[in-house]
Amino acid sequence: MSKQPEKQKRQQSAQELSRQLTEAYLHDARTAHERGRYVAYATAVSPVELLVAHDVIPIYPENHAAACLTKRMGTELSLAMERKGYTSHLCAYARSDLGYRITGKSARGGIPDPAFLLACNAQCFTLTKWFEVLSRQYQVPLFVFDTPQWIRDPGARKEIVKYCVSQLRELITALEQLTGKRFDYDRLAEVMARSRDASLLYRKFLDMAAYKPSPISIFDALIQMAIIVYLRGTPQAVDYYQTLCAEVQARADQGIGAVENERFRLYWENLPIWFKFRDHFNLLASYGATILTSLYVHAWCYEFDTAKDPLETLAESYCSVFSNRILEERAAMALDLFQRYSLDGSLMFVNRSCKAVSFAVYQLKEIIAAKTGTPALIFESDMGDQRFYSETQIRTRIEAFLETLQRRKAERG
Amino acid sequence: MSQIANDPYGCLSDLRKKKQIIGSTLADVPEEVIHAAGLHPFLILGTNEPIRHSSALLPDNSCSLARSNLELVLGEQKAFFDGFVLSQVCDTTQHLSDIWRRKLPDHYFENFLAPRQVARASARAWYAEESQRLRSALEHYTGRRITDQALEESFRLYNENRGLLRRLYDIKQEAPALMTNREFFDMVKATFFMDKEEHNRLLKEVVTWAEQDKARRADQTGYLKVVMAGIVVEPPAIYDMIDQVKGNIVADNLCVASRYIYHDVEIGPDPAEALADRHLKKPLFSPINADPERIAADLVELYRAAGAEAVFYCHIKYCESQAYDLPDIKTRMRGQGIPFLELETEYQTTRSSQMRTRLEAFRESVIGKRGSM
Repeated sequence: MSKQPEKQKRQQSAQELSRQLTEAYLHDARTAHERGRYVAYATAVSPVELLVAHDVIPIYPENHAAACLTKRMGTELSLAMERKGYTSHLCAYARSDLGYRITGKSARGGIPDPAFLLACNAQCFTLTKWFEVLSRQYQVPLFVFDTPQWIRDPGARKEIVKYCVSQLRELITALEQLTGKRFDYDRLAEVMARSRDASLLYRKFLDMAAYKPSPISIFDALIQMAIIVYLRGTPQAVDYYQTLCAEVQARADQGIGAVENERFRLYWENLPIWFKFRDHFNLLASYGATILTSLYVHAWCYEFDTAKDPLETLAESYCSVFSNRILEERAAMALDLFQRYSLDGSLMFVNRSCKAVSFAVYQLKEIIAAKTGTPALIFESDMGDQRFYSETQIRTRIEAFLETLQRRKAERG
Repeated sequence: MSQIANDPYGCLSDLRKKKQIIGSTLADVPEEVIHAAGLHPFLILGTNEPIRHSSALLPDNSCSLARSNLELVLGEQKAFFDGFVLSQVCDTTQHLSDIWRRKLPDHYFENFLAPRQVARASARAWYAEESQRLRSALEHYTGRRITDQALEESFRLYNENRGLLRRLYDIKQEAPALMTNREFFDMVKATFFMDKEEHNRLLKEVVTWAEQDKARRADQTGYLKVVMAGIVVEPPAIYDMIDQVKGNIVADNLCVASRYIYHDVEIGPDPAEALADRHLKKPLFSPINADPERIAADLVELYRAAGAEAVFYCHIKYCESQAYDLPDIKTRMRGQGIPFLELETEYQTTRSSQMRTRLEAFRESVIGKRGSM
């Protein structure tokens, strides 16, 4: 990818930079074959640093699917897949992706075919099954990076890391077989340092939600997280988050909030309902409410310990992502956000598409409500398929919840 | 055995007087380690009773095995168990472990984190490591060392059990009139609940009787040789319906049959490695990643090796793993000209008449083709 001249880069807004980086990244991937490079599909939470260090371009079907779902293509793509015998009970990302493979319809011109597949089950198990389907379809190798649940037992954690390090070595061998090139560990160290720097800046950006009023909402976080997902490990990602942090800091310094007259600061549990993004923002804003954060957007805040063996710190970081932790630790992470961002309540979405996140929701609500005394609304729907979204019912419930918040505030003066 | 298979909690209520009972869930917990610790391993296979307790804890798109397992331990059978060793194979079972531990804090609890891939060498080392960790955890729980000798004795006892079940399966294949599918699979199911020595004693009697009688019941006329694929076959009335259409299950890849009874633990210097070696030989289990082609290729091979005439696939509704596999399996079966019938089912299912009609129609179509060949 070509580097921007320094002067031009300083003048660009984060939004412009994001668009430019995305276009360049997709161009690189689409023309990879012509330049003798390989494209690998990777799941969003996977040790992609190994691919980047080995000059393999990672493409994320989840990101592409999210773009299609945001453009309200979820039902159409799912129906195409259902006609091939799949069920509508599956993850909307997978349904959208498999539907795209059948119809060729895409929100952003499609993604190139893979030469290799990398699926990590720390995020969820469904990804591995989805990628198995793709492996059969494209007749390309699939590597499943198996990350046992990050249970509390310190002895077990040590052994889990050992198992995962041995798998990362197997992954390196598989990549060497793919490209015929020897893996460069010095390059990996550089990539990991950049990945860590970008992750820390991304976290700094997310943590600006602690300002009152908050200069960002979760809707900003969901848009700006794209770069940390698909360009981590590159210098461009570091530059981008520096630019973004400077912009958001300036807004915070001027007291500019993401919504006017911010009154209620909320936590969101789960992935977003991609096709209701804007509607939810507007509805909440009309009550002076804004969703500031979720565990989901924090999933890409890695803190690689570059003093350690690189494979060991990679293994630790990817195993300990929130979705692979036990319920109590997941709740503790959410409670930390409640405390640092001064949150007033929770919108907890039980997402038909995502068992990995949703099946914890009832228990999380119980723990968070008990520890914070804040109200929470649980509702069920799907992150990408409008057939499972009951407009009137959900709107009414969100409005009733916001009215509860108003009453509580009035009672407390 | 049939009574125990269908009402284990009623029939085995006095088990607790002899040993502490440790419940586990499908599919890969090494029971031998629990047994060698002086505890009684008991596989929890859900309930077909109505759901009352678990619906507030899991959304309705969780599979019915998970829901009914949770129902069973939170409901009437809470006191039956002293503790649990739960394995995690998918998102649902991972969450189930957390909910289970949180809702039953007065019970002993341990996770068994079996590898969710068997594609590479690292899986063997990890399974051995987890077996070793389970051994240490159980030693800590009981306050007693689990010796290598105790483990070897458990391996022998369990190998004998598997051997007897395999022998019986062979006889059933040769002599379909000797026992129904329901009777055979009930005998297999009873092994998940009963004292192993007692089960072996009963099995030996059955095998002796079957060996003597098999020649008189070997007529295959009118039977349809079937491969049963899936994870579990529930409710067990499905076996009755297959019996009614004279389907003879001659092979399977079920967690509650072949995945359990095939391959012994080869006793060697390292018990944990011996368990890992057995684990890797088991038939493929849909949630576990291996070469993605194996999902269908193994089934074709099983079908050919058994000389079967059809494949029945028992699909538990909302099992994501099976739902991702099924379209490609169907395509492959069609491509190979293998008659294939998907039986979507749930614990607490009430649609048995519809399934019976489908089975009857399917049998007619396969038998019809046989006649025209």
